[in-house]
Order: sequence, then C-alpha cells, then structure tokens
Amino acid sequence: MEERLNTILSSFEGEKSELIPILQHVQGEFGYLSEQAMLEIARHTGAPESRVYAVASFYAQFRFTPMGKNHIMACRGTSCHVRGGPRILEETEKRLGIKEGETTPDLEYSLETVACIGCCGLSPCIMINKKVEAKMTPKRVAELFARGEG
Amino acid sequence: MMNFEEMRRRAKKEWEALMQMEKPLILVGTATCGRSAGALKVWETLQKELENCGVECNIIEVGCIGLCYLEPLITIIKPSRPGICYGEVNPEKIVELVKGYLINDNPLPHYALGTIGDERIDGIPKLFDIPVFKPQVRRVLANCGFIDPTNINHYLANDGYNGFMKTIKMTPEEIIEEIKRSGLRGRGGAGFPTWRKWQFCLEAKGVGKYLICNADEGDPGAFMNRSLLEGDPHSVLEGMLIAAYAIGAREGYIYCRAEYPLALERLRQAIRQMEECSLLGNNIFGSNFSFHIKIKEGAGAFVCGEETALIASIEGKRGMPRPRPPFPAISGLWGKPTVINNVETLASIALILQKGSDWYAQYGTEQSKGTKTFALAGKVKHTGLIEVPLGISLGQIIYDIGGGVLNDKKFKAVQTGGPSGGCIPSSLSGVPVDYESLKATGSIMGSGGIVVMDEDICMVDFARFFLDFVQKESCGECVPCRLGTKQMLDILEDITKGKGRSGDIDLLTELAEGVKTGSLCGLGQTVPNPVLTTIRYFRDEYEAHIKYKRCPAAACKEIISSPCQHTCPIGTEANTYISLIAEKRFKEAWDIIKKDNPLPSVCARVCHHPCESKCEAGKWADPIAIRTLKRFITDYALEAGIYNSTKKPKIDKEKVAIVGSGPAGLTAGHYLAEKGYDVTIFEALDVPGGAPAVYIPEYRLPKDILNIDIANIKKAGVKIKTNTKIGEDIPFSDLLKNYRAVFIATGTHKSKMLRIPNEDADGVSDALEFLEDVNLKKKVKIGKKVGIIGGGNAAVDAARVAGRIKGCEKVTIIYRRTRVEMPAFKEEIEAAIEEGIEMQFLSAPSGIMTKNGKVTGIKCIKMELGATDNSGRKRPIPIESSEFVIDLDTLIVAIGEEPDLSFLDTGHSLEISRGNTIVVNPETFATNIDGIFAGGDVVTGPNTVVEAMSSGKIVAEMIDKYIRGESLGREYKLTRPSMYVPPVELTEKEMEEARRVEIPHLSMEKKTNNFNEVDLTITEAMAIKEAKRCLRCDLNTEDGKRWLQQKQQAAQGGG
Repeated sequence: MEERLNTILSSFEGEKSELIPILQHVQGEFGYLSEQAMLEIARHTGAPESRVYAVASFYAQFRFTPMGKNHIMACRGTSCHVRGGPRILEETEKRLGIKEGETTPDLEYSLETVACIGCCGLSPCIMINKKVEAKMTPKRVAELFARGEG
Repeated sequence: MMNFEEMRRRAKKEWEALMQMEKPLILVGTATCGRSAGALKVWETLQKELENCGVECNIIEVGCIGLCYLEPLITIIKPSRPGICYGEVNPEKIVELVKGYLINDNPLPHYALGTIGDERIDGIPKLFDIPVFKPQVRRVLANCGFIDPTNINHYLANDGYNGFMKTIKMTPEEIIEEIKRSGLRGRGGAGFPTWRKWQFCLEAKGVGKYLICNADEGDPGAFMNRSLLEGDPHSVLEGMLIAAYAIGAREGYIYCRAEYPLALERLRQAIRQMEECSLLGNNIFGSNFSFHIKIKEGAGAFVCGEETALIASIEGKRGMPRPRPPFPAISGLWGKPTVINNVETLASIALILQKGSDWYAQYGTEQSKGTKTFALAGKVKHTGLIEVPLGISLGQIIYDIGGGVLNDKKFKAVQTGGPSGGCIPSSLSGVPVDYESLKATGSIMGSGGIVVMDEDICMVDFARFFLDFVQKESCGECVPCRLGTKQMLDILEDITKGKGRSGDIDLLTELAEGVKTGSLCGLGQTVPNPVLTTIRYFRDEYEAHIKYKRCPAAACKEIISSPCQHTCPIGTEANTYISLIAEKRFKEAWDIIKKDNPLPSVCARVCHHPCESKCEAGKWADPIAIRTLKRFITDYALEAGIYNSTKKPKIDKEKVAIVGSGPAGLTAGHYLAEKGYDVTIFEALDVPGGAPAVYIPEYRLPKDILNIDIANIKKAGVKIKTNTKIGEDIPFSDLLKNYRAVFIATGTHKSKMLRIPNEDADGVSDALEFLEDVNLKKKVKIGKKVGIIGGGNAAVDAARVAGRIKGCEKVTIIYRRTRVEMPAFKEEIEAAIEEGIEMQFLSAPSGIMTKNGKVTGIKCIKMELGATDNSGRKRPIPIESSEFVIDLDTLIVAIGEEPDLSFLDTGHSLEISRGNTIVVNPETFATNIDGIFAGGDVVTGPNTVVEAMSSGKIVAEMIDKYIRGESLGREYKLTRPSMYVPPVELTEKEMEEARRVEIPHLSMEKKTNNFNEVDLTITEAMAIKEAKRCLRCDLNTEDGKRWLQQKQQAAQGGG
C-alpha cells in the first residue's frame, strides 16, 4: 500500500491547493481514504492532519471505509424523484440487503446515493461502476441484482 | 507552427471530404444519455453488421441533439442525399437499416425522425420541422449531435475559434462593449450582466488574474452543461480564451463535477488538442496573450456552485462561501481578481464574437436577450435538452416542445431553478420565460432545469425533497441556514407523515424568511424558495395533509398507506381484498368490499376507479385491474349465495327523509338504517336508482344487477317511495315537519342547451331524455344518421346506445376539442370507437339545418387548439370561414347537465349557487337551513357514482350526529387497512408473465342491436394471477413493516 501511495504523492508537488486532487487520486486507487493514507497526505502537503480530515469530510465524494467491488449510485435528482427514484432505491436496498451508504459483507456491492447524475431525460437512473443505467424499473433492479435473497 | 488560416483550411478540407465522401457517413450519438440507452451496443452492432454485409461506411461519434426520450439516435448520410435521423435505435433496427437503407436504398420512413439539410425525402419530415424542434432556436447547441466532439477540426471547420481570432485583434474594452451590446446575462442562474463582471475585473488592480469556468452543474434536474461539454467542448473553451483575453487572465480553471466522467474526458482531450494547435500556451499565435487551463474535479458539494465557495474548493479548502464584497472580480482565487463564468455563458460568448452582438440579440426580450438551453425532464413526454429564445412561454415549452404530460395525466406544476428556484403552478403556464418574469412568480431562471410535475406529485413531499437536499448541502457556516433548514425539514417530514400541526404553515414561512435574510450566500438566501412557492400556490395541499390527513396526490405513504384505499372516495380497502384474492380467500374479500360499499355490484361495473389511476403498479407497468377484481368477487358472492344480506334490520330511531334514490340517497339511507334510523327515500320516477337506473345504459349495468343492490338496501330497512314527486305530491316544506332531518340528493337532470337556432326542431333531443327513454323502455324514435354533440360520458353513452338501436346506420360524436381533452372515461371512448362510432373532433356546432321543421343536418365550424388555458387544456379557437355541414336526421345534445330544483317551494331560503347547485358546508354537507343536508351531483354538478356515494356516506354520519345533538364535524384519520394480509412471493416465471389481465367482453356480433352486458367476468385463475401483481403498498408504511416483522419473527420462533 505504501508504495502505491508514494507513487501517487510523488506525482504532486505537495502544495496545499493540491489537497483535493490528491485525495481524489488516493481514493481512486484504494477505493476509500484510510486513516493512514490521510496521515501520509498531511505529511506530504504540510497541511495539518485536522485540515486533511476537515476537507475530506466536507465533500460527498470521499469515504472512509472500504468499498465493494461494484459501486452502485442511486440518483436522487429531481427528475428521478418525480419518476419513481425513491422506489428504485428501496428496491435496490431490498435486493442487495443493504442500506444506502453500506457495503455488502462479501464486499461485492456498495450502495450510495448521488445528488444528480445528470441523465434526467431518461430518469430514473442508477450508475453502476460509472455506467449509467437509464429508465429503471423495480423489475430491472431485480434483474440486475439477481443474487438470490439479498 | 501552423498559422490559423492554414489550420482552418485543413480542417475545412477534412470536414468537406467527410461530408462529400463516396461512402455513407453514420453519426452515432454517444453522449451519456445515448450511452445509458444503449448507444455503444448500437455502435458495436452497426460495425459488425456493416462488416458482415461488406458495406463500407464512415462512423463518427457525436454528442446529443437533445432528444433524450428517443435515444439511442443515429443519423445516416448517404452520398448526395440528405441525412436521415433515426430514433430509438436498437440492434434489430440497425440490421434492418443496414439492409434496407444502406444496401437497398429504402430509407424506412417509419423509423425516421426527420431529414437534415434542405433536400427532402418522401414520407420523412424535416427534422427541425417536427413539433419538438419547431419552436426551438439552436445556436449554442448548433454543433451538438452533428460534429465529432473529439476532433478539433470539426469545430474549426464550422467557424470554430473564429471568434477568438477576431478577439486578439481587439482591445479588451472593445470586446466588453461587444458583449454589452449583445445583452448577455450570466447563464448560471442569477442573470448578472456578463460584461459588467468582466469590466470590474478588467479595472481591478493586480496581475495574475484568473478565469474560472463553472461546470459544477449541481442543480438536481439539470444537465445542459454536461450535454454541451460532451457534445461541443471547444465552444466553451473558445469562450474561455476570449474571456481570459478580455479580462487579462493568464490562467484558467474548469471546475467540473466528478459525476460527469465523459464530460471530463472530452474536456481533457479538447485541451490537449488546443495545445497541439497552439491555441493554448504562451504567446498564442505570436500574440502577447498566453493562457493555460487546468481542470479541477468537483468532489460533490452543491454549495460549490456559489462563487466564493468554488474558489475555496480550488484552493484546496472546504467549500465554504465567504462574505462579499470584496467580489471575486476584485479579490478572488488566491486573492487575485477572478471572473467565474458558467459553461453556457462561455459558449454564448464564442458565438457573439463569431457572429456579432446584433445577431445574438435577434432573439429574446428587452431585458433577457438571446437563447437559453434548458433540460426538460420529469413527467413530460419529450424529455431532453432544448434551446429556446428567451421570452417563450412555459406552456409552449411543456406542450409544444415537451409534447405534454406523460400518460396524459393532469399538468400540475413546473419546477425551475433547482433547489434555489420554485414551483410554478399550471395556471401560470402563460408566463414568459425570462429572468424578471420567472422571478415575479417566486421562482428563478436558474441554470436551466425544468422539471414537469403531474397530478401524482405531492407538492408538500416535493418541498420536503428539496429541503432534505439543501439541509444536507448547507455548509454550516451560517446558523440560520444550518439549523433553519433542519427545522424546516423536520416540520415538512412531520406534515408528510400526517403529524402536521395547525400553525405549521406559518412557522415554515417564518423560518423561511429567517433563513433567507440570515444567510451569507446564494444557497441560504434562495433555498427556502421551493417551500415558499409551494405554500404560495398549493396551500390547500398543505392544509389537506395537516388538517384532513389527506394527500391529494396519494404520494405520502405514511398518510395514505395504499394509494387505492386512500383515493377511493368511500375508502374501499382495495389493497386488502386484492391481497385476500391472491390468497384465494374470496369470502373474506367479499366482506371487505361490502363493509364500505352498499352498491358493490354497481361499482364493480361503472365506477370510474380513481384507485387505478393512482396504483403504484401503474407507475411502472399497468395498474392492477381493481374494478375487474371487484367484479370477480361480487360475481363470486352472488354465485356462492352469500351476496344478500341476512341481517334483520333494527329500526328504533328517528325518521329521516331522503329526496332522490340515486347513489347518494341509497348510500345515506343504507348507513342511516344500519344505525337504526327510520329512512324513507322519495323517488319521483317509477323506478329507484337514479342515474344508474335511467342514464347508465344496460350494456354497462344490467337492471337486474342494480336491483340486487337496491334490494339489499331495502332489506337493511330503507323504505323507497317511487312515483312520489316532492314539490308536487308532497310539498318540500312538509318534509321538515314530519322528519327529523332531510337529505337532498336529487342529482342533475336538466340538460344544458346549445343556444343556437332551430334547437326545437323535430329530431333534436337531449342526451338525458334520450337515455332515460331507452332505459325505461319507452318508445324511442331515431333515424339513420345520428349526431351527438359533446365529449362527456353522457355523449359517449348516448352514442353507444344509439348505435345499438335497429335502423341506426351511423353515429357521429361532434366535439370541439380532441380525443385527449374528452372528459368521458377513457375505456368508454375506446369502446365507442371499437363499436364504430365516428368522432368529429375540433368541430363546434353553429346552427341546425332543418327542412319542414325537421332536422336535416348540423352546421359546424372547424376549431384549432390555441394557447393552454388555466385548466391545462388547450383552448379551441374557431377557424374563420371553415363552416361545414354534417347531414343527419337525429341530433342529440350532450353538452352538460345541471340540477333541476323545481321541487323546492317557491320562496324557499335554501342557498343556491350561480351554477344552480345547492351550497353546503364542504365538510359536513349541511345546508344553510338547520336539519337539511345535501349531497351528490345536486351539490357538485355532474359527477361520478362513487363521489355521490361518498357524500351519502358522510351525510349519514352527520345526520346521526345532528339528531344526537352533537356538534357537526368529521374526524380525520390516517388511512390504514383494517387488517394485514401476508404478501405472496412470486416465482420468477410469475414475475416474467405478470401482465394486466385482459377483460373478456362480448364479441361484436353478440352486442349488435342489443343491450347485453359487454364486459364479462374473469376466471378464478385470472383473478388470482392479477391480484398477485399487487405491490402491496400497505406493507410499506412503518405500521405495515412492523406487522410484517412481527409476523416473520413469530414464524421463526414457531419454526
């Protein structure tokens, strides 16, 4: 882990303004921000540890626990909301057996919500590993996550 | 280094070669929306198919032309033919298109949306002439969907970077003057004049100024910037070059959301190409101007749309706003003068410099110039990205471009401006879309999200949805915003759960004002808008939740439990009997039905089933056939011999008189008798039943079925005196003397007149008279050619009845609007068309033609639909000199009914409305005279059977209270089922095969020239299968979930 982290950190100049891109890269590599990684980032940028955590905890993108292999994001946007998005989230939770913000114990799936994917013309949508699945229905959720009784 | 002219020449050559190639060119829309609809799969199939068939083509990826609802889209351009755009393309269609058009030269017009270019192809309209495009003016989006966004040469070949090349020969002042003349205002939302922002920054002292492109499109429901960045990134980048040059910035940032991976990829690629072409870097094209662009990925914080928060985020801090002034134009990024412009603003700037400010200002209003892109989404048929001249009306956007509301539901409101905007009700659809007009409604233009809402959207829940969003997104800096939004959210959550208190609305308003005035940044100052506008325009909905525990949209699950039960005017527990049917517990299902309904067999046939229109299953596929299931159970009960009541009535209370034996009177009588009252119903005709007996045709409701229900009500102890006309046989005033309370339920029996010449001619009658004569088996004389005027249920009934009478050859319904606007029940209209009834839409009668006093035809004038009126329907307008005559020998007028109040004594003091209906207290149905109640159609005007029954049910309760001397008032409770039934698990096969049951009905031959019932009952197997489709909303409340959990625990404990 340390080596991968150092590779990322050494590609930056270590300026405080790079904090967010560094956090993004580290999370991109490891899937989440571990305490150790954040301490390293603080050292590298010279920012106080508290500031690294303050920034990381401010933005919705960052998470502090490991993520499942498949990253599901349910859209909470306005258009999705009026076209049945809440039911799609409910159905996904039911199928995966986890709530929003959780990861399945086998680390297969993580489920999060997002303010808006921006694919409102085909709502309701969910994003699976950066791919948008449009015009969702409870039936399609069941098909996509057919993994027995979640 | 190549000079610009050389570069452009080469780009043009490349572009022209592509357009004039021997080989066909295929454009595949692969923006995010296209991809999510399967564009990449289409691309793959296309390549494979071309290879298989040995056809050589050029395929390029393009952005989005904005027709999201028709994705995936492709355009095929064959040599010396106009391009043809095809929508909803799938692998099967691709195979057909390759064979059909590319190989055999048949353009398959039925798949085509339109042609591109001036030439025409038979049977295919021009793409930009189809309704969704017609009102649009595509300028910012002109390239989107037509050029390859990954190829800078395509942009260059289409005048790209010309604006910038002009700029570097101008002074910053000249550029700012040009922008000022264009009238451009910031497209991010607030509409601040762009030139002024630049002027401030230009004048600001200091070196190392910055330009930031705000691509943090955080408004939920907006995707204009994403589409533009994905489809034409260079237009934004050219705008950045121009802006940077004008304000003297050497460095620029693009702050783009991480949720837009494709837009980011396109931007990175475009910046690389600019660098390769020396459009970025030091001393661009030998000038003194140097500029570099960096991309910053937003990390998911809505508040970063606010300028100062965005700057903090680029600086690597928490994205918290700071007080202004100083404004960023004076002190922004790293304390340097900074201009922040929105994506669309920058793309507009490129256009203004390319084509001039006069060209830009051709469109728009005095204060709001140019065009604006909008993301049209929500409950509208044509969702997508549009560009319209400012000043267009909201109605035009929703109806003309958007094609109206999805599934032809009722248009309720439109939300503009995201969480900072507000909800504009349908009654204001005439509002022009410009900065000032939208602000006057309480909303804002915002960045361009337009979310359409229909009757199924609860406005309180919608306000809660936004508050939930902003409460999470509040950065926490200002206490009123941080805590105020939380308090507001708590209140809204309580209201949507049925725990609202009186005074909540005022409290919300007060908190909203506090948050607005007490917050530093644009977020806090605007986020109460969704709450304030919904209170302003939909206060009654808030009150329904708080006071009546009702959610009119049937959306708030803790209030409604199941939408079917909540929506039923008499509170029938459809959810319960459906789940009992699924478990084959038919007898219990029957008990549930009759508990709330004294006319079950009547409703099983003629109810307009509002339950089905709100059914959750109907939101995803077809609603459960609730009425059909009710019919199954009532038929089952009849067959099983359990239908008739065996309870002995116990009548030991005061006398109550009811005038009229229709559904309202019968229902009130039934429930009063159950309580022990001595009820007498007075009926003027010789048959009881009211409208169901005299107006509803037998093929919908057989008389013996109606009589079974009436017999049961009589058995409950209700006396029905037929042939007794109040006002003639008994004076109305006598009733109050002899009875403790009186309920008037006389319905609407007077037909409205056309008020055109010759209405008294022989052969002209009104629908009520006609239907009554047929129903009561009186002699009816109609001719061969019958015309019916009107679009309501009476019109359709009259038409279907006329069509059944021997000798009648042709029936035509004449209606002044179109089928969509017809108020008659949908299934009745469908049945009428199936039975061969002709429909003459958009025609209004202007005179009756006669010969020897007998009708020979009707003169009509053609209508066209004009602007949308407040009811959300388009107003019909007569077309001049378009009169025509329809030959007929019988004319039936069915344009509306009103109550006949001639039974009242002359000089009575009952309060009557201007529409000749009786005025009552809407909660208690009490009239202005003590002891007299009124309900049903005589109060509401023409209405449905079940609505009339609802008033009868409430009146029974009110009369009981009245006689017992209690104060009149209703108790309002949350909707809950009387029992829970375990859910059934569907097998995979059952899930696969789940489709709405098809109602069997009489074949055409069997229903000709007779009045046999058309709809037949379904089998037991069909009923169970249909019932299993129910999504069991009742188990989704906290209450229902608890029950289910306990049940599961008990099962586990027992097992």
